[in-house]
Parts: sequence; C-alpha cells; structure tokens
Amino acid sequence: MKSIGQSLPRVDARDKVTGAALYSGDLSMPGMLHMKTLFAGRPHARVVSMDTSAAEALPGVALVLTAKDVPVNEYGLQRKDQPALCGPAALTPGPSPKEPPKNGGGRERGVAGDIVRCEGDLVAAVVAETEAIAAQARGLIRVEYEDLPAVFDPVEAMQPGAPLLHPEFGDTNVCVLDKIRKGDVEAAFARADVIVEGEYRTPFQEHAYLQPEAGIAYLDEEGRIAVQCAGQWTHADRDGIAHALGLANEQVRVIYPAIGGAFGGREDLSVQIVLALAAMRLKRPVKIVWSRQESIVGHCKRHPMTLKTKWGATKDGKLLAAETTIIADGGAYLYTSNKVLGNCTITATGPYFIPNVKEDVYGVYTNNVPSAAFRGFGAPQALFMAESQMNKLAEKLGMDPVAFRHLNALRDGDTLNVGTPAPGPVSIVQCIEAARDRFHWDERRRTKDGGIRPSSFVRGRGFAAGFKNVGFSFGYQENSWARVEIHGKTGIEQVVVWHAGAEVGQGTHTVLAQFAAETVGVPFEKVTMVTSDSATMGNPGSASASRLTFMAGNAVKGAAEAALAKWKAGERPAIAEYTYLAPKTTPFDKETGHAMPNLSYAYVAQAVELELDLETGFIKILRVVSADDVGQAINPALVEGQIEGGVVQAAGYAITENFISKNGRILTDQLSTYLIPTVLDIPDAVESVIVEVAEPNGPYGARGLGELPLLPLAPAITAAIHDATGVWFDDFPLTPERVLRGLGKI
Amino acid sequence: MTTHTHPTLPEFDYIQPKTLAEASQFLAQHPDEARPFLGGTDVFVRMRDGFLTPKFLVDVKNLDGTNDLRFDPQAGLTLGAAVNMNRVIASPDVQEHYPLLAEACRLVASYQLRTRATVVGNICNASPAGDTIGACLALDGVLHVHGTGGLRREPLATFFLGPGKTTLKPGDIVTAVSFPVPPKGCAGAYLKLGRNKLSDLSLVGVTVLGSPDPGLPSRFRFRIVLASVAPVPLVAAQAEAVLAERAVAPESIRQAAQLASEASTPIDDVRASARYRKLMVRNLTEMALTEVWKKLQK
Ligand SMILES: Cc1cc2nc3c(=O)[nH]c(=O)nc-3n(C[C@H](O)[C@H](O)[C@H](O)COP(=O)(O)OP(=O)(O)OC[C@H]3O[C@@H](n4cnc5c(N)ncnc54)[C@H](O)[C@@H]3O)c2cc1C
Repeated sequence: MKSIGQSLPRVDARDKVTGAALYSGDLSMPGMLHMKTLFAGRPHARVVSMDTSAAEALPGVALVLTAKDVPVNEYGLQRKDQPALCGPAALTPGPSPKEPPKNGGGRERGVAGDIVRCEGDLVAAVVAETEAIAAQARGLIRVEYEDLPAVFDPVEAMQPGAPLLHPEFGDTNVCVLDKIRKGDVEAAFARADVIVEGEYRTPFQEHAYLQPEAGIAYLDEEGRIAVQCAGQWTHADRDGIAHALGLANEQVRVIYPAIGGAFGGREDLSVQIVLALAAMRLKRPVKIVWSRQESIVGHCKRHPMTLKTKWGATKDGKLLAAETTIIADGGAYLYTSNKVLGNCTITATGPYFIPNVKEDVYGVYTNNVPSAAFRGFGAPQALFMAESQMNKLAEKLGMDPVAFRHLNALRDGDTLNVGTPAPGPVSIVQCIEAARDRFHWDERRRTKDGGIRPSSFVRGRGFAAGFKNVGFSFGYQENSWARVEIHGKTGIEQVVVWHAGAEVGQGTHTVLAQFAAETVGVPFEKVTMVTSDSATMGNPGSASASRLTFMAGNAVKGAAEAALAKWKAGERPAIAEYTYLAPKTTPFDKETGHAMPNLSYAYVAQAVELELDLETGFIKILRVVSADDVGQAINPALVEGQIEGGVVQAAGYAITENFISKNGRILTDQLSTYLIPTVLDIPDAVESVIVEVAEPNGPYGARGLGELPLLPLAPAITAAIHDATGVWFDDFPLTPERVLRGLGKI
Repeated sequence: MTTHTHPTLPEFDYIQPKTLAEASQFLAQHPDEARPFLGGTDVFVRMRDGFLTPKFLVDVKNLDGTNDLRFDPQAGLTLGAAVNMNRVIASPDVQEHYPLLAEACRLVASYQLRTRATVVGNICNASPAGDTIGACLALDGVLHVHGTGGLRREPLATFFLGPGKTTLKPGDIVTAVSFPVPPKGCAGAYLKLGRNKLSDLSLVGVTVLGSPDPGLPSRFRFRIVLASVAPVPLVAAQAEAVLAERAVAPESIRQAAQLASEASTPIDDVRASARYRKLMVRNLTEMALTEVWKKLQK
C-alpha cells in the first residue's frame, strides 16, 4: 500500500500554520452587517412582553429579530423542542410535519415559543452597521419575564409535581429511558461470592474548542441563503435552518470554512438560524462572532450523571451480574441525549462478558444548559462506573486488575448486554495486552520522588479499558456520499475528491485523500480535495461518533473504484458518485434492550502512573500508555495526534475542568475560571500503542478512533490514586480540594 | 489619536507625554478619566471586560529613567517602572543579589506575558494575588513616586489600602521601585499554588525571606508575606515574631505556619474554598520556611 498507513502531511497544515486558512470569524464581505444575540440569562420564565423600539430607533440598527419573526420557531437535531428565539409569537408551530416520530412518538402541539428553559436560550438578535452599535442596541431591548419554578437536579425533576419543561411531550421530564434485561440478575447475585456496590457521579464538561461560534450568512449567486459557519454535519445544519425558516432544504446552503475544533459541541445549531434569518430579511451579508463567555453559556455540555450499580463475581474471578441505574441531566432540550444515552447503556458493562444484566438509564429534562454530544457520547461516564467496579472487584478478589480484566474481556461471539455479540473481530484482549506490556505492568517498580519535599509525594498506577461503537446506528441507516473525478489523457494527472465531511481538526480531509490515492493507485500528491458545501455535494453524515473515517472512507473508496472502472473503460474525465450504506442495525427493544444496535466497535486500554502531593492535593500524571485498536491506521501520525489529544482532554475532564453552575447559571463562563490543561499541565509522557485488528467492513480494515483515547483515563486515574493512597474516589474532577477532602485532610 | 484595536475594547485616547511633569499634570487634570499604564496586561484586560472605561491612557514608559535597571553595592537595586519581568529575571545583578525577586517573576504567567508585564505594574495594580509583591515587601521595597508636587518616596509596607487601592493620588506616577542591599547570608523562597502551572492567578502564595540576625533571640529574622488570602498582600507578623523569639526548629516552624494560617482571611470563590486556602497557607508556609531554613544552614 502506498498511501494507506503512511504518515503523510496534512493537506491543510500549510494554510493553518501560515494563517492563510480562514475560519468563520475571519470572513468578511462588502456591505456586511454585524449581529449580536441576547440570552435570556434566567433558567425558567415566560416572556410576557418585549419592547424593542429603543433598539430599533438607534441609528445604525438594521433589524431586531424576536420570536414573532421566526417562521417556524423550533429546532433540534433529534427532536424539535427548542425555539430559535423565545418570546411571544403570532403563531406557535403545530406538530412538525417533517419530523418523524422519534423516541416516544410525535406530539400533540408544538413547543411553547414564549418559554425560556435555560439561561442560554436566545430571546433576540440585533443587526447593525457595526458590532458596537449592535451591542449598544442589544442593551436597549426591554424584556418582561415572569419567572417560573425551575428544577436543576435530574432526580428532583423526575419526581411527580416537579416543574415540567416540555408538557408538549407528556407529563414527565424523563425524555429518554433505555432498559436492559439480560438473564436473571437476582439469581446470579445469590450465587456470587463477591459483590461490589457503588454510586458514582460524573461532572459537566465544556468542549472549550479553540474557536467560539461564528458565522456569516448571505444570499449566494443563485439566491439561496448561504451560511458559512463551523459545524459537524453540513446537511443536518442545512435542514435545521431550512425548517425554522420555512424553506425547502435546497433553498439553504451550508459551507464550512476552516473549523477550530468541535468535539460534539457543534452537532447542534447555535447562531445559524438567526443569522440566516437576518440575511434572508435584509438581503445583505450578516456576520456574528460569539465571545468565549457567550460560547460557554450558549452551547451544550457533556451530560453529568449519577450512576448506581452493583456487580457480582465468583471467587475465581468470573463476572456474573451487573445491575445499574443511571440518571443523566439532559438539560433543557433533547439535542442528542437519546444517542448519548444509548451508547452509555451499552458501554455500562464495560468491554466484558457479563451473563446477567439489568439496566435502567434515564435522561431527564432540567433547567440547566442542554447536555449533548461530547467525544465519547456517554461512554466516558458509563466506563468510569464500570472500570471503577472492575478495579474494586479485583481488589476484593485479591486479583491483579489487569489479569482480572483479561479473564473477563469480551471474546468473539460473546454477547453484549443487548443479547447479541459485537460484530467484527473483538480486540479488547489485544488492547489490554498491548497496554500491559508497553507499561511493563508486571514488573512493579516503586520509586519515590527525589524533589525538595519528597515526603509529601506518593506515586501510584492504575489501569482501565473501554470500547465504543463506531457510528450513530441504533436503527439509523448510516450513510455517506462521495464523488471522485479522475482527470488526464493517457495517464492519470489529477484525482479530485468531493466530500462534505467536516474537517474539525481531526485530519479527515487528509485521510480521505489517502483513501482516494490508494484506491486509484496514484501518489497522494495527485489528489485534490473539494470539501464541505451542501449545495454541490451529497450528504456526508456527521463528523462524530468516531464514524467519519469509517463511513466517508467507504464512500470515497466506492466512488474511487467506480471512477477507476470508468477510466479503464476509456472515459475522460472519469467521474463517479457513490453513496455508502453501512450494514443495518436495530434499536433497543423497549423492555429488554435486545438489539443489534451497531455495525462496528473499537477497543482501548490504558495504564497510568501519577504522583500526588499529600500536602496540596495536586496530581501530576507522569505517564500514560494508551493502546487503541484502530483496525488499520490510515495515517499513523494523525492516530497519535488523536490519542495524545484525547488523553489530554480526558486528563482535563478528570482533574482540572471544574464546571460550576448554580441555579442554572454557569459560574465558570471563562477560560480563566474553567481550566483546561495547559502545555505545562499535560502528562509528562503519552505513549501511543497502535493496535491493528482489521475490521472487515471498514475501508482497508479501519475502525474508528476519535473518542477511544478519552474513554478510560478517568477510572485509570482514580485507580492510581487508590494505589497511592488506599482511597477510592467515586466522583471527579479531582481538584486538589476534592482530593484532600477524600483523604480526610480538610 | 484614536485607537480601536479589539472589537470589545472600548475606545480611548492614547497619550504619550514627553516629561514626567507633563504626565503628572495631565493625570491630575483628568482625575477620573485618565490612567497611567505600563505593560497594559492588567489595564487592557480590565477594559475589555468592562471594569475600566478610561477616556485617556497615559503611557508612562520611556519617561526619564523608567527604563533603567541599576545595581549599586551600597545603594542597592533600582528597577525602573517600565522594566519588564523578563529583563528582571535575566539580570545578573538580580540573580546574584535578589534571587527571590527573580523567582517570583518567573512564576508570573508565561514568557510571552512577562515581556510586557512589569513589577511596578504588578505593585500598582494592588491585587492581593500579585506574585511579585511579596518579594518586594520582604526585600523592603520603596517606591519612587512623581506627583504634581515633585518626587517623593513611599515605603511599600504602608502602600496597600485594599484590593486595587493604594496611597497614590491623581497625578502620581511610580517611576521606580528600589531595594536596599539585602541582609548578608539571606535566603528566600516563593511558593505559588495556582490551579494550573501556566497563567492561573495564585490561589495562595507564600513568600519567605530569612537572614541571620545576631540581635534576635533566635539569631534569625524571617519575613513572611502571603498572597491571595486577604484584601491586601498580608505580612504575617505574629508568625515572624515566633521565629524571632524561639529557636528555629520544626516545632516553631509549624507554629509559625499555623499562625500565618490563622492570620489569613481568604474568601470562597469558584477557584477554591476559603477552607482550602487557609489550609494551604499553613502547608505552604511550613514548606517555604523549611526550605529557607535548609538554605540558611548551608
Ligand atoms: C494572561 C495573564 C496572566 C497573568 N498572570 C499573572 C500572574 O501569574 N501573576 C500576577 O501577579 N499577575 C498576573 N497577571 C496580571 C498582570 O500581568 C500583572 O499584574 C503585571 O505585573 C501588570 O504589569 P503591567 O506593566 O502590565 O501593568 P499595567 O496593566 O500597565 O498597569 C497595572 C495597574 O497599575 C497602574 N499603573 C501602571 N503604571 C503605573 C505607574 N507608573 N504609576 C502608577 N500607577 C500605574 C495602572 O493604571 C493599572 O491600574 C496576568 C495577566 C494576564 C493578562
């Protein structure tokens, strides 16, 4: 193979390093206006009235948008339960004809547009000649609210009589309920020699991507409303905007310029609808750039969860049963909670064979900022619980935690908790062995730090594993479109790949070029990428759920094969389009969870060594070994980049990122209060071990990768702390203060 | 001249006076509207966040002597107001005679920031979290202030009145901070606890300077200054007294650390609780004293 498996340079590297690459905030057009948005800034309220007259009268103001201006005032990726602007409106939309019944079916009436359900809800947008005028006018808008009783704790939100966020969907705040019933847990616990019970809590996490939300909207040469913005799925963004504007999908065009990170936080819409609406009304380009504070308040977060569980095993270390209840804070709107919790449900038994399983997994509406997709999609939370249980069981059994995992690891043909086996070769054993061997787990060494204050430092090591489905699936027909053109006369001079998949920093455009080069049989340099325009390309599917290399790779490979056949038949240029359709999957059975929910899984294991200062509670990660099965590394340097980045993001999640919200108001709304790791805080060493157990359905054997390295780090860290101190931590982030409290020192 | 460099930075007029007298006069004539600035690393951030809206920013860099860094074996060190922290760190004189000052500067933010940030700006900003203030206090720093009435000296010990509040009056410009030659055989330490290792403000900072002093019962004099745990940089006087009176040993060090902790009055905020901060004052003071005591015995 010439391109596949090579660490070829990124196609976008040069432009990004030199600054030539333009992000949405960099774009300007002649005659451009500026937009500012107004947040409700309160968790639950009815908008009684709005007075925009002073704002409209300010010289330089072109337009003030409120709820009554939005043609179909609702949006949402999985369920249209959020108004684009909250406020009194002439009309409230009825049940949306375009929306297929999902998750509990349709509904009788539309979402109430005059209700604010979280502080990040928008109530108005102002467009003006300058940013300063727009900001000044925003300050002149008067909104009268009637505050409503609010609920911030999902357990309270589940109680009868709790304030109801979405009566249009029934008389409960529970918006997701997944159940697993496999075998007989009661009988199995009666047989178990050891039982470990635990209650775990996981925190919010902010995506903190480099680039805050921004975009520019205008009418293109064909009169379509074009929106250039950052996102993860061009066609889904387009459809969501078109729905709210009451337009056909084709009347809206979404283009992605360079994107400064996403991590799941851009799957749902933010500024796009109001921006497009303003451009439609004014027929002039309109631009918006959110500040960091607006970004933190205005977009979704990782679901905080409470996970209660009980696991049993025999005295020779065989897992018998797991019984689990998980309650996730879904926030004010559904977003992708159903998908996130589906993955959470599956991964809550870890990558192990457990014959008897009972699970109830709830997603609950609250008046917090919505929870949604974030690298790992519910698996990091589930695995924190599952892997902590494994570490505690190993301790109780007197077994080495790695050997205990090895004994129970899923093998080919073992059924998951959904009652069917994982398709494709199961490689968790290989990952566990690879991490164990690279770490030299079996050669236990204990070194003390030789610094100035050696006595206050202790060291420990920990191990954890994980797995994650590749793709959304659960009955959704995974698909991806691509077009490949082969140009030249006698020999192939250029290969052009058309694909709308989002390059969010992960390197997808480079990898797709490698697939095309490999399949056509030309050097990588001959491939040109044309990317991310919904008007000229078919649906790429989302850049999320570790799915894009798999789905888009198959699409490009299919299109390249078809184009090559035409080339060989003499067509000049040889052009082919191809839509990849992945193997079918099925949703959970409502009562038992029985399903074949996914078409592919990927596996990971990590070992960690850390040092803890008993005087201050500070943790320093010395070394992380991460063994990730990617099936086939298309570009090993990019794989290492994903592993290192994922580990750093997981370390932030586990230790420094302390998201604080009080009564629905976010208190850590800046990067000086919400701390992601800096270059000096990251682990001293991250060693990537690339495992390659080919996936037969994957392009050239590839699986998915993006989420894997984030999955098991938090429980590996708590295991290492236990190793160092003898204390288990069942919640995080492990801020110095939490650590000292856990150690009984404060 | 109008500058408008950042979309959310309010507009202001940039004033570049030619002499100190002109600068003081301008500042005194616009008491609520004009503000002096050096590196601007505090001023611009506060303006962007809407906490400051000065009409005029008066640039006091490049005025008489503000760029000088001078050491004299008798008179000591004079740091001009405009000398940035990287220059302080790189100065051989500072490294040799005032290593504590270099150590404190090194713990301020990042290299990039320190090419702008100044020690005098850190002092005039009067944040209790200022990382270099403890060293300046322990080293008996004196400010050179130019006001409408001419030049005067202000000892740092009485300079701070509250968060962001000092004894400076409209028209006053700090032109330098100077330090006497430090006591012979002294040793110091600055321990900073931030939530990350780069650019977080200190949750707690502890400066310790120790020196032999035959006139004291313990024969050693210690200065202890705490950052971020009171409205102003806090000199832990009772803790200092214990170490002057009782023989320096692990028990007296522990007692001094406890007294320092008791003297602190930190607040609860999203960064940490008051309880944690108080405990950290004790632990860091004990660590810093132990470290300095070890150096003194060498
Ligand atoms: C990203 C970042 C990280 C930071 N990290 C740290 C840190 O780790 N530790 C820390 O201590 N600080 C930190 N700071 C704060 C700041 O950098 C320091 O306080 C710095 O020393 C200020 O110096 P400056 O020259 O930039 O002051 P300026 O911003 O120019 O001025 C500071 C204040 O002093 C007044 N002033 C300036 N010059 C004079 C004068 N000659 N006479 C009278 N008043 C005057 C100004 O009006 C203003 O109120 C950080 C700031 C940023 C932006």
